[in-house]
Amino acid sequence: MSFKYPVVMPKMSMTMETGELINFHVAVGDQVKSGDVLFEVMTDKIDMEVEAPADGVIESLVANPGDVVEIGKPVLIMLTETEVMAFDFGDDNEPVASVEVVAPAPVVETPVVVAPPAPIIVNTNVKAVPKARVEAANRGIDLRTVHPTGPDRTITMQDVNGAQLDPAIIKRQEANKALIAKGIEMTRGIAQASFTRSVSANFDHAQFIAAWAKVLRGRPDLAAHEHIGVALIIESKYGSALPVFRDPDQSSIADLAALVASTTDAAKNGKVPVAMLSGATTTVFDLTTYSMSSATPLLFPNQVTSVTIGYESATTKIVSLTIDLNFCDFYDGALLLDALVASL
Amino acid sequence: MWRIRKFEEAVEDLFGRGMMHGTMHLSIGQEASPTGMCMAMTLQDQITSTHRGHGHCIAKGADLTRMIAELLGKKIGYCGGRGGSMHIADVETGNLGANGVVGGGLPIAAGAALASKMMNRGTVAVSFFGDGAMNEGAFHEAANMAAIWKLPMILFCENNGYGMSSSTAKAFAIDNLADRGKGYGIPGVNVDGNDVVAVYEVAQAAVDRAKAGEGPTLIIAETYRWKGHSRSDKNLYRTKEEIEEWRTKDPIPRFISRAIEAGLLNQEQCDAIQNDAIEAIKAAVNEAVKAESAEPSGLLDAVFKAVSA
Amino acid sequence: MSDRMLTMAEAVREAMSIAFDERPEVFLLGEDVGIYGGAFGVSGDMYHRYGADRVLDTPIAELGIVGAAVGAALSGMRPIVEIQFSDFTAQAMDQIANQAAKIHFMLGGALHVPMVLRTPQGSGTGAAAQHSQNLEPWFASVPGLKVVVPSNPADAKGLLLAAIDDPNPVIFLEHKLLYKIPGRDPVPEGSARIPLGVSKVVREGKDLTIVATGIMVNKSYEVAEKLAAEGISITLIDPRTISPLDMGPVFESVEKTGRLMVVQEGPAQAGFINEVIAQLAGSSSFGSLIAPIKRLAGMNIPIPYAPQLEKAAVPQIEDIEAAAREIVKNWR
Repeated sequence: MSFKYPVVMPKMSMTMETGELINFHVAVGDQVKSGDVLFEVMTDKIDMEVEAPADGVIESLVANPGDVVEIGKPVLIMLTETEVMAFDFGDDNEPVASVEVVAPAPVVETPVVVAPPAPIIVNTNVKAVPKARVEAANRGIDLRTVHPTGPDRTITMQDVNGAQLDPAIIKRQEANKALIAKGIEMTRGIAQASFTRSVSANFDHAQFIAAWAKVLRGRPDLAAHEHIGVALIIESKYGSALPVFRDPDQSSIADLAALVASTTDAAKNGKVPVAMLSGATTTVFDLTTYSMSSATPLLFPNQVTSVTIGYESATTKIVSLTIDLNFCDFYDGALLLDALVASL
Repeated sequence: MWRIRKFEEAVEDLFGRGMMHGTMHLSIGQEASPTGMCMAMTLQDQITSTHRGHGHCIAKGADLTRMIAELLGKKIGYCGGRGGSMHIADVETGNLGANGVVGGGLPIAAGAALASKMMNRGTVAVSFFGDGAMNEGAFHEAANMAAIWKLPMILFCENNGYGMSSSTAKAFAIDNLADRGKGYGIPGVNVDGNDVVAVYEVAQAAVDRAKAGEGPTLIIAETYRWKGHSRSDKNLYRTKEEIEEWRTKDPIPRFISRAIEAGLLNQEQCDAIQNDAIEAIKAAVNEAVKAESAEPSGLLDAVFKAVSA
Repeated sequence: MSDRMLTMAEAVREAMSIAFDERPEVFLLGEDVGIYGGAFGVSGDMYHRYGADRVLDTPIAELGIVGAAVGAALSGMRPIVEIQFSDFTAQAMDQIANQAAKIHFMLGGALHVPMVLRTPQGSGTGAAAQHSQNLEPWFASVPGLKVVVPSNPADAKGLLLAAIDDPNPVIFLEHKLLYKIPGRDPVPEGSARIPLGVSKVVREGKDLTIVATGIMVNKSYEVAEKLAAEGISITLIDPRTISPLDMGPVFESVEKTGRLMVVQEGPAQAGFINEVIAQLAGSSSFGSLIAPIKRLAGMNIPIPYAPQLEKAAVPQIEDIEAAAREIVKNWR
């Protein structure tokens, strides 16, 4: 009784997946004895001679020298009289295991719910013991406002509990608040009107103030000044800073973006260049970091317009505009806002 | 012997197809030694084995399906898929486990022999090891303790001439490994490891000695492995001629011709035994392949045996 | 009452004797444990009481001795193997870590190794670098070993009895300096076990949680007593079993005190006590911390010989006291 036995590319190392057939040592029709070399194979680590598992005759050559053959796939077929211990379980040679096929999860249509950005309350630039962070987060305390008394300027529980603010910072915060309160007081009496529109667009501060300035540039009849100065409110632990960007529509957007970035940084550290502290003709207040959707923009002294940017959803913002009715009537106000929204 | 031979050939085939993980250490050509030794043992007698241990396990009576299943990483494998080729143990046949550390089984077998003596069980413990293990400290410590306490232990060395790639000529300053027995005050016996009858006779004598309370014996069985140390062995350290020469001393045909000459078996009976072995291995492989694969759940609980309340 | 104020050596001997009496398969093997009575006098007169069949003097062959214990344990005995200095477990590491620890797992549960390896560890006797190590992390990092570090004689007795009961390999680390002194508490009569894997809250406080192992438990206790008089109240936790480690009481306590200090004798780097810190840092109790976690441990040096150098190498009572004060004072 003759057995047909395919001699396969053997797995010769733990990671081997294919081997290259180098050459045959036998030809079709050759008689071989158990242990005779049939062919040589190579992987990146090993050269091996593959031996005949039993006495027999070469029936056919399946692969060609130079071929890269997967392990377990035949290289030649031989006929033997003794049954060779060979197990071919099919094409992929994987033992049939009862593997659980997990059905793909059913596709459920869920409405897209996006959480609003978390309000900035805990500042990771500040060092605090773990419990102090938890406490501050629970009580809505901004750790930037807490004076650290622990070693290495670390905020301790005592610090958070007592919420002892740095006296210097407290002073500046008070000063800032007083200034803004004074300004609002001054404009309270002015007749004003507010408008609100939604806009689905992405823009950063630089793009916004440039767009706003451009809109204003187009309506010199509504201006109270020769130049355009957009004040951008920036919050820091010292309170609100209002650096003014002069004629922002007249610099390149790249330059403006760089200027906005560096000024924002400086403001957060309480250091706005003095030159940028005056000349505002309009004010922009971005409320989105506080998750606020809108607030009636407040007019600042000597300014005709004031704008807020509010958060409605991940893709939509609310832009509000307040105008001084002495300079600008309802209709013009609406047109300004439309123009701004259109240009974003 | 046929069962061991066919088992190893089947493992070689399955491994070559990529169905087995890791590597395999085959004992093709060395079948007579475990067979002869285990024939002199009862089920209660114990063995420790080596990384090249399939032959020992089978000779001691292991279940072929569970062995293949272990190599295939199945739940019904001897170790539940957690041990692999080098760690197969079978309590029911007195197999305390194959060992992946060279020499690791020697002190353990000494301990088993110590327990047998302390509990008056009358059993022996056989440690199978290779020539390579004889240079491990563990061999020395176990041999000495077995000698001083006259433990019922047999130190069975399958000297196949190589510890991976180091030949005994290079690893030993002595020519006759059995001489080491003198160093411990125990008999060192040489035997042709490919002559199953000779191995059996020497083994039985050692078992008798041990059970009579006379202490351990060191048996050096000279044999040879046809295949490389493991499946990644390029055989750079030995010659084709050497391999060829030893193939002519194949223990299986030797025994067959001897049995036939002595009129104890005829050719048909010998062929039938071979076929039975082939069928047994095939059945074991086919059954094992269909078994469920081992799963990762339960791994943490498998480290310790639970403490009973 | 004073006759129950046993030393740790006496308590361990008492536990072994009880186990010997309860089960015939328990036996002791090791170097000089028989006629000599043990290098530190722990086995004492057991050789005379139980005979050479159960108290085996072995040749100097740690690998062989531990391996024989493994083989005996696999065959139905319950060996207690004594390795004369924990430093010498290095010779036996194959049988400890590659064999005993892994057999139950790798053989799929077919066999188990009910063996206890007892060994003296620690510094303070002038025995210098190779006879003074604290090797807790070596054993605690090997899955499959249970590791017990008793800090006092009463615990040692109950823990050792439980260890001998345990069907798994247990490494029992005794501190040399504790052998000859009694603890604070009398050693109970009888054969009560103290379960492995259960930490002990030695004293309760509200200002600081100290987790300490072995001999550092006793030093920390002294500090706690002293500082209590000054109004600093300290919780002291002794894990007793370092693997498997019971962190429950630690989490609970840190949530009350908000301050954690860990103290061990062994070198700080990769030491066992770091496990306590790691688990705490990753837990929900982390948010209760009002101070950084303080670690006191040995210097990353081999133990030196001269007494003043030897002392400087590991935390002393003064160090523990200073650290405790500082953490409570600076972190409110």
